[in-house]
Amino acid sequence: MPIPLYGFLEGDTILLLILADEQDTVRSLGERLQEAAAIRVARREDLQVVYRNRVLDPELTVREAGLEPLERFDVLGKKEG
Amino acid sequence: MLKRDEWLPLARKLDWDYSYVSEKDVFPEVASGRPWLPHKEWKNWDEPYRTSYTEYVVNQHAKDASVYAVRDAVGRLSDFQRLASPWLNALKLHAAALPLAEFAATVGNLRAGRFGRDSAWRTMATFGALDELRHTQIPLMVMHELVRWDPQFDWTHKFYHSDDWVAIAARHFFDELLTAADAIELAVGTNFVFETGFTNLQFVGLSALADQVGDHMFEKMVTSIQTDEARHAQIGQAVLENVIKHDRKYAQYLLDKWFWRSWLLFAIVTGFSMDYFTPLEKRSCSFKEFMEEWIVDQYLRSLQELGMEKPWYWDTFLESLELYHHMVYISAYTYRSTVWFNFVVPSPEERAWLRDRYPKHWDQIDAAWDRVIDRWRASKPGDEASVHGQAMVTFCDLCQLVLCGGTPSRNTATTLDYGGRKYIFCSEPCLWIFGREPERYSGHKELVKRVLSAEAPAALPELLTRYFRLTPETWGKDAYGGDYPWLQRPAAGEIG
Repeated sequence: MPIPLYGFLEGDTILLLILADEQDTVRSLGERLQEAAAIRVARREDLQVVYRNRVLDPELTVREAGLEPLERFDVLGKKEG
Repeated sequence: MLKRDEWLPLARKLDWDYSYVSEKDVFPEVASGRPWLPHKEWKNWDEPYRTSYTEYVVNQHAKDASVYAVRDAVGRLSDFQRLASPWLNALKLHAAALPLAEFAATVGNLRAGRFGRDSAWRTMATFGALDELRHTQIPLMVMHELVRWDPQFDWTHKFYHSDDWVAIAARHFFDELLTAADAIELAVGTNFVFETGFTNLQFVGLSALADQVGDHMFEKMVTSIQTDEARHAQIGQAVLENVIKHDRKYAQYLLDKWFWRSWLLFAIVTGFSMDYFTPLEKRSCSFKEFMEEWIVDQYLRSLQELGMEKPWYWDTFLESLELYHHMVYISAYTYRSTVWFNFVVPSPEERAWLRDRYPKHWDQIDAAWDRVIDRWRASKPGDEASVHGQAMVTFCDLCQLVLCGGTPSRNTATTLDYGGRKYIFCSEPCLWIFGREPERYSGHKELVKRVLSAEAPAALPELLTRYFRLTPETWGKDAYGGDYPWLQRPAAGEIG
């Protein structure tokens, strides 16, 4: 059952809807949002997925990371230091 | 024979004491509004125009004759065909948003014409209803001529009958403001905030631009409408003063709610038109500058005169003045097939002009335009699909508009759990409005939730044609098919 999530990519002008699978990794979730927003935002490698003010381990699955339907996740540039 | 000033009170002040029913039964709070006050608290209600029916008919007849004369002189198809292509899209946007919203205003004014708490108020609201019928009919008449030339003008009538995302948002706004509002909320929200506070954007700003670009029919249409609005807008302050006297907190809430909701609507309708659809050489000021001069200063002055506070979210509003309509415009550009008008990519000169007018955040918007232009550069002219978003965009559960609040660094969308359901809001003020009246808003589904519950199709082509009622002929495109003289494409062989 796909999980609908609101995704915000840093640099974008709008939130997008991403339908994630429970077994998708956090890394692939970030990748999919980048792809979906590519028309407006240039690709970057130094990104991390943030959910409820927590940086998620990219190797976790969506289920393991505890992402809930119709919640927002952010894909943001890694902070220096 | 009575003099005018002696006769008018006889014709306008007609209230009497009820003996067979209670006053509350005649004017129930659900339709008349709150605070509910006995008539003695309203009996001194007055406004400066004090029009009689005879005067109303004579004046309106003259105004209509003038509109018809202008239409005969400069409102024919060939006159519109001479206008700049981007401006025509400002016209299509207004043509769709305006007339049936005005018809909803007829309904609202008729309710106030029955349930307003003083007969002079009811008289003015009845004239207001007649005004709004006129404002429905004039644009329908003017735009009808254009349908055979450009089917996107068919949306002048079709728009509110569709489930296009902009129509969902506009209906949500106007249904609450006009069709469903009680007489007091209508007076404060429509007559005071919307008509006194915001419509200068259309009647002063946009009509001046229309004159500049040579669209004299549009200019005449809105200035003629403005003369009606100036009169019936007077209902607002006269009602508001009494609400402030008896329930200041509620008055402040109505002011703040409708200022925010009106702002979002005008940011799109007028912001797009002033900063993107008006040819650069015809622009005298930016949307933000116009807002600052004609709306912000005047509205704050009005609030001060009434002894009211500026909205609690004022800093958020000033920040959104810098950016909101730019965020929505580029987002909508990349989903232009979802609306009934066309878009343009701002040229290098226009981007420089926008940077100059919006120095605080323009760099972030400009970076997104670079991406769009790169896409066009790598695509053939007219290849709309290559320069178009595919993922589903998202909408606010209050305003129903796209989640474009904040900045490209920090989007302000916020989620909420309420009654076992998830909601999302574009901004703090939208969340705050929902929180004040959740029972009013919580049953409505924004577009994403309609798709997820299979009420609306998920696939874009079906969504556009079956749900939004667009066709390949009418859905929005780049006005130039991406073929801009300033956009240097690589030689044909280099395109992958």
